[in-house]
Amino acid sequence: MYNNMGPQQGMPRPPGNPEPGPFGNPFTGAGSGFIRGGLGAYGERILGSSSEYVQSNITRYFSDPQYYFQVNDQYVRNKLKVVLFPFLHRGHWTRISEPVGGRLSYKPPIYDINAPDLYIPFMAFGTYVVLAGFSLGLNGKFTPEALNWLFVKGLVGWFLQVMLLKVTLLSLGSGEAPLLDIVAYGGYAFAGLCLAGFAKIMWGYSYYALMPWTCLCTGIFLVKTMKRVLFAEVRSYDSSKHHYLLLFLALVQFPLLIWLGNISVNWLL
Amino acid sequence: MTKDFAVPPVVFPSGGSSAGANVQQRRFPAAPFQPPRPSTSAIPFMSFDIGSAAASSATPAGPFGGTMSSSSSFGGGSASFEDEEPLLDELGIHPDQIWKKTRSILNPFRINQSVHKDSDLSGPIFLYLALCLFQLLAGKIQFGVILGWIVVSSIFLYAVFNMLAGRNGNLNLHTCTSLVGYCLLPVVVLSAVSLFVPQGAGPVRFVLAAVFVLWSTRACSTLVVSLADGGEEHRGLISYACFLIYTLFSLLVIF
Repeated sequence: MYNNMGPQQGMPRPPGNPEPGPFGNPFTGAGSGFIRGGLGAYGERILGSSSEYVQSNITRYFSDPQYYFQVNDQYVRNKLKVVLFPFLHRGHWTRISEPVGGRLSYKPPIYDINAPDLYIPFMAFGTYVVLAGFSLGLNGKFTPEALNWLFVKGLVGWFLQVMLLKVTLLSLGSGEAPLLDIVAYGGYAFAGLCLAGFAKIMWGYSYYALMPWTCLCTGIFLVKTMKRVLFAEVRSYDSSKHHYLLLFLALVQFPLLIWLGNISVNWLL
Repeated sequence: MTKDFAVPPVVFPSGGSSAGANVQQRRFPAAPFQPPRPSTSAIPFMSFDIGSAAASSATPAGPFGGTMSSSSSFGGGSASFEDEEPLLDELGIHPDQIWKKTRSILNPFRINQSVHKDSDLSGPIFLYLALCLFQLLAGKIQFGVILGWIVVSSIFLYAVFNMLAGRNGNLNLHTCTSLVGYCLLPVVVLSAVSLFVPQGAGPVRFVLAAVFVLWSTRACSTLVVSLADGGEEHRGLISYACFLIYTLFSLLVIF
């Protein structure tokens, strides 16, 4: 049910011009791992090899990443409102599914506010890094190396968030949600972090009010989203185990986001 | 087996005809020996002629965007120095094109997009060196950092643009890097200007940086959307990505 856009639309046209530039194909070097991971189904076209093996392996682990970037301005605005103020979301939280070519797949983010996207998480991550650099600079401790460590810290935090969601899904018996969905849900936490970081720059003490707010909102958002995912994915409905796990999910947001929001030179702390 | 080579005739002032004296004096000829200069640029020990040499040397010169002069330097050795391509053309650096492109970004209100159609990387290299120079004057040695950030941010913009544009997206990495590099010009100007703004005047530096970053963002997003297909309806989203990139560079300048 989740293998939505891949086989139906066929191989999309490659996004980049595959002919080598003056310095050769830029993706045959060390960047190829990143590109293959990040661009998913485009990987085999960009790398220049047309092996079916590579393509099938990639689409097995990553659903089509292009689905997550079908966004527009209005979707981004509304989704940010949902992520930052989840209790104001009046509608339902289920994703709209549509039958495409005989299998059930979900509508892309433009048509469905509840669908996950990858644009907001990536931009929120970038904004987090920039805001962290800014607040380091305001304290007089800005160096490019410190900013690189903060980038690594953000990546580790995102990875931990994804692990948390994945373990929650696995422990309830089914881990079949696509990896990129989980990555997207994990990345929405950065939107709240950016808000808190911005407030910290504006007025230092507002951070202490806005940080618990952010943790709470991210927790509520994740609980409501994962409830729907669990409902769709998991066969057996064990009520108390579900609820305890979801509660745990929301509570873990507090230490995780406080750690991510604490911007100092020592990145581990 | 002796190889005979042409010896210029040795003329003795005495005109003597004794063989011994001639042989002896032939050992030390008065005129220096000149190898025969090939007038047709074909050295005997090179096995290909000038036609294929020009064809084979034209293809590596092509992608560099250089002018298509038939380079006889490949087959002619030291004999045809005058026929060699000018160095800048051979390297693919065209100063007038770089100047035209740079000037097109200098006007913040109207950017001429047609000059950026063929991308090159030598202009961005000059701008990168200028930025590093101004940072050096401010006491910060950040050559590697800036280069690394340019590479990473152009990959980032390439990925974001092509993902957003979907099937029609045809931005390629060379064009993307070229645009990101050229639109660094306002940041270079910012770093030059901020040399004169004292470090203590915080808000002034921030406002100054904000103005230049917005200029940079506007230039970059206009160029990217107009030079590659598929970006028109995602203009705001792409310009936010450009904004993040240039804010990052301005952080290096401000702090």
